[in-house]
Amino acid sequence: MRAGDRRWGGWRLPAAIALAVAFLLPLWFMVSGSLREPGTPPPRAPELVPRPISTTSYDQAFDLVDLARHTLNSLLVAALTVPLAVLVASLAGFAFLLVGGRARALLVGLSFAALMVPVTALLVPRFTLYRWLGLIDTWVPLVAPALLGLSPFYVLLFYWSFRRLPPELLEAARLEGMTPLSMWRRLAMPLVRPVTIAVALLAFIASWGNFLEPLVYLFDPDLYTLPLGLRSLEALDRTNYPVLLAGAVVATAPVVLAFVIAQRYFLHEDRGAGWLGR
Amino acid sequence: MSRLALEGVRKRFGDTTALDGVDLEARDGELLVVVGPSGCGKSTLLRCIAGLEAVDEGAIRIGEREVTRMKPAARNVSMVFQSYALFPHLTVRDNIAFGLVVREEPKRVVAERVAEAAKLVGAEGFLQRRPYELSGGERQRVALARALVRRPDAFLLDEPLSNLDAGTRVQMRTELRRLHREVGSTMVHVTHDQVEALTLGDRIAVLDAGRVRQVGTPDEVYSRPDDLFVGRFLGTPAMNVLTPQAARPFVAIPEQTVLGIRPEDVRLTADGVPARVDLVEVAGSDAYVFLDRDLVARVPAAGRPAEGAEVRVGFDRGAAHLFDEASGRRVEW
Amino acid sequence: MTERRQVALMLAPYLFGLFALVGLPAVVTFGLAFTEYDLLRAPSFNGLDNFRELADDDIFATALKNSLVFALIAVPLRLAGALGLALLLHRRFTGVGAYRSSTVLPTVIPDVAYGLVWLWLFNPLYGPINLLLRWHGDSPTTTAWGVQPPQWLTHPNDARAAIILMSLFTIGEGFVILLVTRQGLPSELYDLAALEDATAWGIFRRITLPLMAPILLLLLARDTIFSLQWTFVPALVVTDGGPPPYATTYVPLFVYRNAFEYLRYGYAASATLVMFALTALIVWLQWRIVRRWRKGFAV
Repeated sequence: MRAGDRRWGGWRLPAAIALAVAFLLPLWFMVSGSLREPGTPPPRAPELVPRPISTTSYDQAFDLVDLARHTLNSLLVAALTVPLAVLVASLAGFAFLLVGGRARALLVGLSFAALMVPVTALLVPRFTLYRWLGLIDTWVPLVAPALLGLSPFYVLLFYWSFRRLPPELLEAARLEGMTPLSMWRRLAMPLVRPVTIAVALLAFIASWGNFLEPLVYLFDPDLYTLPLGLRSLEALDRTNYPVLLAGAVVATAPVVLAFVIAQRYFLHEDRGAGWLGR
Repeated sequence: MSRLALEGVRKRFGDTTALDGVDLEARDGELLVVVGPSGCGKSTLLRCIAGLEAVDEGAIRIGEREVTRMKPAARNVSMVFQSYALFPHLTVRDNIAFGLVVREEPKRVVAERVAEAAKLVGAEGFLQRRPYELSGGERQRVALARALVRRPDAFLLDEPLSNLDAGTRVQMRTELRRLHREVGSTMVHVTHDQVEALTLGDRIAVLDAGRVRQVGTPDEVYSRPDDLFVGRFLGTPAMNVLTPQAARPFVAIPEQTVLGIRPEDVRLTADGVPARVDLVEVAGSDAYVFLDRDLVARVPAAGRPAEGAEVRVGFDRGAAHLFDEASGRRVEW
Repeated sequence: MTERRQVALMLAPYLFGLFALVGLPAVVTFGLAFTEYDLLRAPSFNGLDNFRELADDDIFATALKNSLVFALIAVPLRLAGALGLALLLHRRFTGVGAYRSSTVLPTVIPDVAYGLVWLWLFNPLYGPINLLLRWHGDSPTTTAWGVQPPQWLTHPNDARAAIILMSLFTIGEGFVILLVTRQGLPSELYDLAALEDATAWGIFRRITLPLMAPILLLLLARDTIFSLQWTFVPALVVTDGGPPPYATTYVPLFVYRNAFEYLRYGYAASATLVMFALTALIVWLQWRIVRRWRKGFAV
């Protein structure tokens, strides 16, 4: 323990606990609100746990909207998007490392520029493009961003992690006559596994929560992903909170689960070992 | 300027003991070099003196003050780090001024003292530049100036020369001695490099596994090592160690002891014991002759034998050291 | 296959994605902004008509103002929050991993689900926030200190505040990036500061802040751009662009409605372009200010 720690320890712990609790409150109220009996009169005082606890809202949510179908759709879209995104991002990130020089500077610059363009700014032309290609009302527009690695940020993340590998490693591999692809597969990827997990998690969160693009590109309710299902639920009755929140819990549980399983790779190591592959 | 003393200092990190009861004194105005292999606790020792680590047991005194529980800033010491720890966003001038500025010294004083410190280390030429524009040696000078500028009671130097290339290191070593003479402050200098320790220190302290093995002038420590570790750690190549059996052709020593003889004390001589030359390494003016009797001899390169040659070797009884086999302590004979 | 061709192959999907999904659409947006286009007929060039109409469009003016005010308030708060959390939680202490995870959790909730939660939290009658504010109030409709609690979804300013409040819990990404940045700063610099008697504020001002400045600037720019996009889901799901007339209609919602509800794609594209130009201007200004501020670091 460093000498300074005693001084900080005093107020850090209570502050950290208070903030952690504050950040958990939205999630807490999501779950507790979903467990209220639909149609019961509003409580008169704030309640952390509803009385009585009821799961009727979940039954109603699945009845009103085909949430099971939407969940399946979301899973399928994510199953297509996430591996493709990880593949594209890691390949591109590794290629960044290999090209070197001015080409690399250009690629990094382009990625940064693309990172700065918000999706809303590209919605109209992308829609026009997909419509022209006859891809509206398919999942293609939802999976297509995986070609960008879902976000240029993930490409850069892979590039930064690969750059931290000892250069002698790649030089040795080159002397052994390994091709770029086999270096990527047999050297680079096994060494940055925590980064791969982090990117897969982030890509899953992004794909799973994506609302804007399905909203614009999908019209057939059979193709709807979960966020659109929630939107339909809201459109049916904006005031039936337990049912809305039950839907929210269904949509949130998988990402929270994935996050809790994978977060140790980039939050718990000191000096952020996993995050940047150090 | 003050003496600096550690009394029975212990420091543990979890299960590992970094300092195991260290008693050590740097006299007023002395340059004390603490030397030891990596992991011997020498950096921890320095960080404890500075107050960056809290000691578990023992006392630390600077001058007449007991500082064991004081916070780092109250101890009035300054430190030069192995990585120099220069602020990348500040110019050389602002780096040197840092300690004075955070203590809110008047601008005039800051300017004077910065100029004075920069002159002492020869950094006047690049005061407006930033750390990343400097060479290793120049960074080293800036780090030294920053330590000097506050006129602390003691200077702590943590392997300050280890990141420099060989040539610059030798040059900075000389500069450091000159600087110490001009400033006249108490300095504690930590290194793993025994040559640096022997050439730089007024006195040196050899540290191993969290204990001080020996303190003394470089001469004393080199020519009269208190234990086998100190004997083997100082000197190139390392001291030869012979069991009673291996030593028998040369000299009889008691059981349960070992004999230490420095390579330069092993002579090729006509009346010696026969031995065969396995290997010869030439290091400039000297040659290291590896013999089949677990012996290395250091001889002038000009008079070196050929590899595979049969030679005769011997040494003076007076040049040999005797150590207890179990404890490693020196035995007089 | 030669090495060079293999590398090109590895890059190909990404470069294609960049071109087809970012580069080309960006150019098309620029082109569409000068046309009238309803998807049915081919786009017809109409010069600066769209921009003239935008200049007179009160709804657009409101949306633009709302977006800028949101960015002005939310972005600094979000950045300060992420920095504060990172500095609080960068060291190892009891349970620190759990605290880090908790603060990131709201960020991973899907946007719509997150919006629905706040729709519930903000409900003026039985939402937990107002229930808490009215707890022990004098009458059923006032707070303990006798004033009416905020009418989150019906009063224009309260609704704008609600959207900002929502945005303050989703700072996980910035937090993680700043956490890693802080952990990467050399500890010797902090040791040195301890030897020099720098105060906590002095250390923050003279060491931490300037050393983290490049990353902070990057996050500032990114968050500014994204704050303009971020408002879309809350505005659509929680406040529905209201309360009337257009208290929480932000530019993204304006663009969406014009394009996909009123089928005025050209008009929407020109609104996007205006927004984009404004954002670029803001980011450029931030860049200038931070650069000047960094120059002032001669202690």
